Amino acid sequence: MIAAAPPPVSEVRFLPRADLDRLIDALADDGRTVIGPTVADGAIVLDEVRSVADLPVGWAAESKPGGYRLSRRSDARAFDHAVGPTSWKRWTFPPRAPMASRVEAAQSLAFLGVRACEIAALLTQDRVLQGGPAVDADYRVRRASALVVAVECATALETCFCTSMGTGPEVTSGYDIALTELDDGFVVRAGSPAGEAIVGRLDLPQANVGQRVAAADTLRRTRERIGNPVPTEGLAARIVAAAESPRWAEIAERCLACANCTLVCPTCFCTSVGTKSDLDGGNATSERTWDSCFTFDFARVAGGNFRPRTRDRYRQWLTHKFGTWWDHFGSSGCVGCGRCIAWCPVGIDIRAELMAVAPPPLSETVLVASVAPAPSTAPDPSTALDPSAAPAPSAFPASETLPERYVDVVVTSTRRETADTVSLRLATDDPALLACRPGQFVMVARPAFATPPISVSRVHQDGLTLTIRAAGPATTALTRLERGAVMSVRGPLGRGWPVEAAVGRDVVVVTGGIGLAPLRPLLDAFLAERERFGRIRLAYGARTPADRLFVDELDALARDGRIEVESTVDRAGQEWLGRVGVVTQLIDADACSGRESVAFVCGPERMMAATADVLAECGIPPERVFVTLERHMECGVGLCGHCQLGRFFVCRDGPVFSLAELGPALRVEGL
Amino acid sequence: MAPDPAALADAGLAATWFGATLPPDVRERLAMLARRERYGPGDVLLREGEPADDLGIVLVGRIALRLRVPERGSVTILTVEPGDLVGWSAIVPPHRSTSSAIALVPSEVLTFAGEPLRAALDADPVLAAAVYPRVLRAVARRLDATRLQLLDLFTAPGAEPW
Repeated sequence: MIAAAPPPVSEVRFLPRADLDRLIDALADDGRTVIGPTVADGAIVLDEVRSVADLPVGWAAESKPGGYRLSRRSDARAFDHAVGPTSWKRWTFPPRAPMASRVEAAQSLAFLGVRACEIAALLTQDRVLQGGPAVDADYRVRRASALVVAVECATALETCFCTSMGTGPEVTSGYDIALTELDDGFVVRAGSPAGEAIVGRLDLPQANVGQRVAAADTLRRTRERIGNPVPTEGLAARIVAAAESPRWAEIAERCLACANCTLVCPTCFCTSVGTKSDLDGGNATSERTWDSCFTFDFARVAGGNFRPRTRDRYRQWLTHKFGTWWDHFGSSGCVGCGRCIAWCPVGIDIRAELMAVAPPPLSETVLVASVAPAPSTAPDPSTALDPSAAPAPSAFPASETLPERYVDVVVTSTRRETADTVSLRLATDDPALLACRPGQFVMVARPAFATPPISVSRVHQDGLTLTIRAAGPATTALTRLERGAVMSVRGPLGRGWPVEAAVGRDVVVVTGGIGLAPLRPLLDAFLAERERFGRIRLAYGARTPADRLFVDELDALARDGRIEVESTVDRAGQEWLGRVGVVTQLIDADACSGRESVAFVCGPERMMAATADVLAECGIPPERVFVTLERHMECGVGLCGHCQLGRFFVCRDGPVFSLAELGPALRVEGL
Repeated sequence: MAPDPAALADAGLAATWFGATLPPDVRERLAMLARRERYGPGDVLLREGEPADDLGIVLVGRIALRLRVPERGSVTILTVEPGDLVGWSAIVPPHRSTSSAIALVPSEVLTFAGEPLRAALDADPVLAAAVYPRVLRAVARRLDATRLQLLDLFTAPGAEPW
């Protein structure tokens, strides 16, 4: 429903106020349920509208940071109230929906009273949820079923800043019908064939010059009233660069982490993906529910929480909205509707926080309201956000596996590797699973448990091996499965190890603990074509000798000499004659000398950071050091938002990254 | 005629990171103080808390550094590998060994007797200026590694959602 060019003047028409019901009737006659503004619970909220009587005629709204009030007005205007707490995503992206590739046709809707900022929000969610590589089918169907009747804002709330974000108040695209409210009626434009068909049925007169001028004056006054409270030029780069600002901690002292801002935000899209499966473990289905990056568990994984503090979570939200959203989706994630300001219980005003965290250079500071067009919100290309600064994630094809595509697999054998770690050999003939590449992972669903991402530790001709450490209830349950058990897996997901980057080079593989599991398919790939690679060294660290994985295999490799294997443990008893000490001590200049080396690293992030330092000392450039990251994952295809790390969705763009791609992201606490 | 022990020591020293970049005259003076010692598995080089008589540079093998922990016995906290120092307490007061050192496999150590080495370092500022920074580097590297080890990075987490 993208609008064509602005209609010629002859097609600008006028709907007398008394005829507004005719428009609502025409929408209903088109088979559509009309959703629009109505008064409930002391606010203007969106709900079903059957006639003008349901609209908030005679009501005005006021807002301020942490406040929103309705009041009576003397005229009969129906839309002079800007935005309330609900947004249209409640219908396009309802709080609970299946994640499936085939969705039944949705009910035909007409959205009546969509503001310019809200059209921008719909277009923003279009890019997120149907811009690929994975597409949210439920959203696509619902969105396509909705006709957009826009209303240009004749008034602005104190919390509005669409002018700064370049989204309003003028309605210029993304509408089927646009209305501008005057005292005696509405200036009407059609923006699509579907809109034109409905307007045509109303048989309206052309708008006269006075009406057109009055409409234009209305918009000009609204724009002047808002001014330009958030100069956005260079903002994306500035806020990304402000990761260590002390202001985050100060905001966190006020922020309740209640998630109100994300729930009223018309673009926030993060969800929790729940998996339901039959009691026998088969037939898993996924359902998404609204989630928020402010919730404590949002970035938690077995072993820790990547954003344990409110300051981490507030920074994630604001930095994503105004900064890294550009990297993910090519636009700002904020449309300037101001809902998060009005509905914040403690009145945190993101306009003020943006100016405090990432102030513009002094000369650009706008101290008085400006009537100039809003500055471009495009990010400053001279910054770390510049895609040329590091290889783009799309250099490797992203997985297109959809969230509901679970495959039932059978456990054909189990093997206890250590006291808490088990390998499950799974049989499957699913071609996608069998095409799993080194470093990819699968989501594993079992009834009544969370769905963890598990690295594939070997690919066979007739199945996969998963090596799982019992870290929480779900993984513990998996380690207790026996031969013959059935479970549902989805994948392979993510971008794996770039095997080709090692061709013709010496290879250093550094890993610790369970981190050896996702590297074993890489070693298998090297061994399958051993002559294509130079010297290969594996440095493996474990907590104790008993915690080492794949001991027999490593011993065999060490004996046969095709890969040089060195192991060390953090602690050992007197019976251990091998090395004791951290794994980084296994790496020295000698290990990295010879032909230009490439390194592959997997382990806890702190261990990988220490390893990165040693590899840098050895002269391996960050473009050739690859690490794999762990994050909280639910959808596995970049739709649910959980695994964000700065510019990246770890599930979709990773989990394997070069250090050059990550930049400082590996070392910023709470990112 | 048997090979000159000092020449042998000098050659051994030159092959290590510690000795490779020493000025040749300094290295020769140091080699005069050195002897090559061989140890078999289980041989004790140092005992925790006792006087540290010798500074050594491991040439071959593996030496375990162990601490006694009540109810856990003797715990290996680090192994010293070729190129690493053993017994740096010999030149750092109070010259008492901070751990026990036991050879795990047949090992060869270039050994400097503590007393003459200390006397030479006191008397020869050029020698001291060459030796101390290298010892400091080795000790700092060990401290850094010990900190990482202290983090116990590979330990299993507690109860978690997955």
